[in-house]
Amino acid sequence: MVEAGNVQAIEFTVNGERREATVASRQLLVHFLRDSLGMKGTHIGCDTGSCGACSVIVDGRLVKSCMMLAPQADGCEIETIEGIAKDGELTAVQRAFHEEHGLQCGYCTPGLVMAATFLLRRNPQPSEDEIRRAVRGNICRCTGYVNIIRSIERAARNGAEEAA
Amino acid sequence: MLLESVAYARPDTVAEALQLLAENEDAAPLAGGQSLINVLKHRVASLELLVDISRLEELRGIAAAPDGGLEIGACVTYDELDHSPEVRSAQPMLADVAGHIEDQQIRDAGTIGGNCCLSDPTNNLPPLLVALGATMVIASSGGPREVAASDFFHGYFATAVGEGELLTSVRVPPLAAGASAGYSTVAVGADSKAIARAAALVRANGTIEEARVVLACVSPIPARHAGMEEALRGRAAEPAAVAAAAERIGADLEPLGDAHGSAEYRRAMARVVARRAVCQAIGNGGPQHG
Repeated sequence: MVEAGNVQAIEFTVNGERREATVASRQLLVHFLRDSLGMKGTHIGCDTGSCGACSVIVDGRLVKSCMMLAPQADGCEIETIEGIAKDGELTAVQRAFHEEHGLQCGYCTPGLVMAATFLLRRNPQPSEDEIRRAVRGNICRCTGYVNIIRSIERAARNGAEEAA
Repeated sequence: MLLESVAYARPDTVAEALQLLAENEDAAPLAGGQSLINVLKHRVASLELLVDISRLEELRGIAAAPDGGLEIGACVTYDELDHSPEVRSAQPMLADVAGHIEDQQIRDAGTIGGNCCLSDPTNNLPPLLVALGATMVIASSGGPREVAASDFFHGYFATAVGEGELLTSVRVPPLAAGASAGYSTVAVGADSKAIARAAALVRANGTIEEARVVLACVSPIPARHAGMEEALRGRAAEPAAVAAAAERIGADLEPLGDAHGSAEYRRAMARVVARRAVCQAIGNGGPQHG
């Protein structure tokens, strides 16, 4: 049992790297990532679980990191936007957002890339409806979403070509 | 946002969780956290201790009996309900409704137990579980007890789960031969906050033999509408008869109006969603999510 405490020692993996930390029990995961680990790619938009800008993947689940406490990440494998491109090479999703102009100001982009990455792992060839539903939790105030949907459609094609 | 100071514990068993909840007056179970974390951020409630039950193996399973009955652990997420072959096969409407709650991130965290224990009248699962005749299993220091879903919801944010107790599972009985569920919502936007909602369970064989019609968002708790149920019994299982029965919903409802809909609008939409849910259950309506 993890005994009750206002401070907790946690062990976790972030983008493949094993780490240990001591966190305040009340600290949100997004603040831990940004302020304690210095990984500022995960953005805070609304801080109420509505906008999805802080989306990360924890143990294979897409979560809003402002809706989870840092001590809940104990023992977990966390993937953030910083970790998805390997060796400086953009992923199929990242390339597609560039090619299809799937961003303007870019604030929502880390969350959308994580949501799209999660979708394509589970469903490599999604329909347009499935893509729209997959980014239902991610708000973009610039693009009107059309280019984001196109980006994810293209990412699915890019991914299929890479896999072929 | 910074939460008020709060302690965190993660028990390994339900027994340890019950002990932590019993020993600490201002303790609360933390499951998916998709409502509780915001409550704490906004400092609506002040807690001393969060008891993280989200990983308790005892609360994480879905057991299917050969007859199609399900026992679903309280910490099974919406996404797990949506993707469970057992739930899809035995209770397709439950899987479908869970798969249309808000967004992927919320479905990956939010739990069936949390959805029920919060007892927000706009929550998706309570009216469906009442319609399906589910039983809620509650653990307490004195041992487990069972409460019918129809008796579980006591009011806004109030349920049968008392101090120091924990909802551990939801039992959903198998669908009777010829029975099918329906569900319909009028919402602010797709898969979002409900303005009016109905769930139905109808047993029919050309003629409606039995119907449960549960309305939500028009009273503090999901409630069966006896008038419409009575008007459906013995009638032809066809849309015209359902529409006529839905007319029984009227002045007996006293919904609250808010920014999303006036009381009169909610009452009118209750008739609409009740008709759609029953029509869907008898196979005369399209899919109704949300």
